[in-house]
Amino acid sequence: MIEKGKISTLQMAILIYPTIIATAILLVPAITGEQARQDMWMSPIWASAAGFLSAFIAIQLNKRFPEQTIIQYSETIAGKFLGKVIGFVFIFFLAHICGVILREYGEFVKGNFLDTTPMIVILGSIAFVCALAVRGGLEVIARSAQIFVPVVTVLFIFVLLLLSPELNPANMLPVFEKGLMPSLRGAVVPAGWYLEFFMISFLLPFLRDRKKAVKWSAVTVIAVLITMVITNMVTLFVFGSLTPKFTYPVMEAARYISIAEFIQHMESVVMAIWVGGIFVKISVFFYAAVLSTAQWLNLSDYRPLVFPIALIVTVLGHWSASNLQELEIFLSETFPFYSFIFLAVIPVILLLAAAIRGKRSNKSSN
Amino acid sequence: MKNGEKGKLPSIKRRGKKRRSKKADKMSKLESSVDEQTPLFNNLSDNEDTFRSIYKDSSDVIFRPFYIGEQVKAILIYIEGLSNIEEIDDSVLSPLIKSSMGENYFIDTLIHKKVSTSSVKEVKTFSDSIKEISSGNPVILVDQQNSGFALGLSKWEKRSVDEPKAEMVVRGPREGFVETIGVNTSLIRRRIRSPKLKMKSMQAGEYTKTRINLAYVEGIVDETVLEEAINRIKRIDVDGVVDSGVLEEFIEDNPNSPFPQVIATERPDNVTASLLEGRVAVLVDGSPFVLVVPVTFYSLMQASEDYYGRYLIATSIRWLRYLFLLISLFLPSLYVALLTFHQEMVPTTLLFSIAASRAQVPFPALVEALMMEITFEALREAGLRLPKQVGSAVSIVGALVIGEAAVSAGIVSAPMVIVVALTGVASFTIARYSASAAVRMLRFPMILLAGTLGLLGIIMGIIVIIIHMATLRSFGQPYLSPMAPMKWSGMKDVLLRAPWWKFNTRPHYSGNYNKYRQSDNQKPSPIRGEE
Repeated sequence: MIEKGKISTLQMAILIYPTIIATAILLVPAITGEQARQDMWMSPIWASAAGFLSAFIAIQLNKRFPEQTIIQYSETIAGKFLGKVIGFVFIFFLAHICGVILREYGEFVKGNFLDTTPMIVILGSIAFVCALAVRGGLEVIARSAQIFVPVVTVLFIFVLLLLSPELNPANMLPVFEKGLMPSLRGAVVPAGWYLEFFMISFLLPFLRDRKKAVKWSAVTVIAVLITMVITNMVTLFVFGSLTPKFTYPVMEAARYISIAEFIQHMESVVMAIWVGGIFVKISVFFYAAVLSTAQWLNLSDYRPLVFPIALIVTVLGHWSASNLQELEIFLSETFPFYSFIFLAVIPVILLLAAAIRGKRSNKSSN
Repeated sequence: MKNGEKGKLPSIKRRGKKRRSKKADKMSKLESSVDEQTPLFNNLSDNEDTFRSIYKDSSDVIFRPFYIGEQVKAILIYIEGLSNIEEIDDSVLSPLIKSSMGENYFIDTLIHKKVSTSSVKEVKTFSDSIKEISSGNPVILVDQQNSGFALGLSKWEKRSVDEPKAEMVVRGPREGFVETIGVNTSLIRRRIRSPKLKMKSMQAGEYTKTRINLAYVEGIVDETVLEEAINRIKRIDVDGVVDSGVLEEFIEDNPNSPFPQVIATERPDNVTASLLEGRVAVLVDGSPFVLVVPVTFYSLMQASEDYYGRYLIATSIRWLRYLFLLISLFLPSLYVALLTFHQEMVPTTLLFSIAASRAQVPFPALVEALMMEITFEALREAGLRLPKQVGSAVSIVGALVIGEAAVSAGIVSAPMVIVVALTGVASFTIARYSASAAVRMLRFPMILLAGTLGLLGIIMGIIVIIIHMATLRSFGQPYLSPMAPMKWSGMKDVLLRAPWWKFNTRPHYSGNYNKYRQSDNQKPSPIRGEE
């Protein structure tokens, strides 16, 4: 196998949680709020179905091919040629998504903190840092995540607690004003994020204790669900119907914090949270892209690919949108379907085909 | 070394005769002719000649010919100053010379009947004899015998056991290691009386032939770590190991890291505790610092006094240490980032007073910080190396440079002085000197990052440091464990120092078997309320 490291299921959960949450807590409240209005806190609950589905598909496929990723088993299932085509498209998808995430990060930092710094510097610096992590291998990404995620989570809870004086639960009312539909429509975009749970299929082959994978995947989906619901609720309680008007409602909410005239302007803390989380997210996607490329090319090591692909991803990020508005339109209109095709449709087809043709990897004869 | 594989050290080229110059070859010809396992000759005069040529131009090697019982020729060879001369005279020479004639003089008989010292060893080859002589044990060769015997009478000047200078404690044992390996092993042996304590003897250094002892407790130690340590020490081929610091650089996992992957300690109690946790200690002759492996980042944050004080207090002091670790790493860069990029984060009144004091300062915050931090480092270094008598002069000058005079001259601002002073104090709270040196070094790139990218730069720096630490391993042990990867059994001694009656399991880096180190339910609970 190309990857020599092994991770535990807990580490997998700790890698996947920020992979979903990091960008979701900043962008999703506004996008959901547009459709679901005061029912926006419900949308993540409906959307979580996508998360369970995604994780289920990934685990089912992994049961058939325990030591392989989608790049490898697509060849077994669909044949050499078609498999290579699927693999190539998938690699392109991963690299593109990675670029888009980089761009989300870049827009956020440039828009809020470093407005005169060139975009390419912001993108390049985080791409370089993530490349260092990916070069270190899966174990290193997992261990760094294990240090960051608890800190980031504690800081996030801290910010939410500090916000508590500003909360106005009456903003929630009336519940179900226009029936179930608005909250369901609001669930479409978060579903796109939940679908990213399929990324566990790139981690499952390297688990030390694969039996616990189902349990921990479910725990992670639920943790993401709770986090999203709380984030949406808090923004709703602070801003009410104003929520969709902001790009980064949590960020704006953090600006409200002022306790004893001393603890104020917590937006930098939000940035710290976000950068810590997005580092893990980019690393996971980037790792998947690099690993897939190496597997697609049948290389024995993925390390030499890391920096070239980092360059490609940076450029993709730079080109993926010309400005924040375009990026937002992509995220709220194209992205859900885009990720639905790659993270749900293709895997489901592969799974069905494997089930019908009775394909399994040779090693798992037991 | 990458992911999980260990023991795959790159093979090094042993230097052979080819790499030595011809001249050196000639010089060592004689030695090499008797080098390896050449047995001693039967004829005493041949032996004497060989030894005299080996120790040519060595005025400190004494040859003392004598007759055993006025009959059999013998010779005593020893190095002046390394052996106990009175003892040689009293219990070896005089009984031998005075012994009656007519007995047989086989080596065995001499050892058993004539010599009254407790430690005697038979030597059969030249290399054995040389080894004994150079470690201070006098060797006696007898005519018509192709072996001799070495007497364990080495004795030389050594420093007495003293309070460790680099690791002070208020409460706890005050003994420290010295430069003599025999004393150091005895200090450990006195604390662990069980025969399970093993001292594996090794040697390194082509010329110094430095004695190295690997101490471990059988049954607790992780065998793979032990084997790894032995292999790493075996492959060392250098002229000399002058201090354990030299050895450290040869056996650590990642030599290009600022972080120490080996603990060097002067305290026997520290080593004892480490051995009982299943670690391996490496004692090097001539160095008062004993190396302990494997190491995690968190063990660098543990001071020995943590374990002797009350656990609640020890825990809070440990938290203080973590806080000041962060301060010493990030405070100057945070200050620079806040003043350069994020003024809005500073509370208004504080910002006003900082701005007022900075009004006269001609430098940007970045330059000011770098300047002051470098000055501080220079002062620290100066204070460390100077003779004690000059030390007070340094502190007076230092107080002027980083202090009131610099501020009133308008060169630096008062808040910067506070920041630098606090950082300086913070860096001294880190228990291990090598760890605090790493933090002090990393401070400078952090300041530069903060000056260019602000808070974002600091976060990037943190991420890079964490990635680097996640990559590190110390003898197969991930550097950030037990935090990452998470091991609950190790967490008792990381963020808090659990009370002793709760330390029921050994930490994660001991061998897999023998998990428990004490019995459960030992929390003291005396019966109360009885008259």
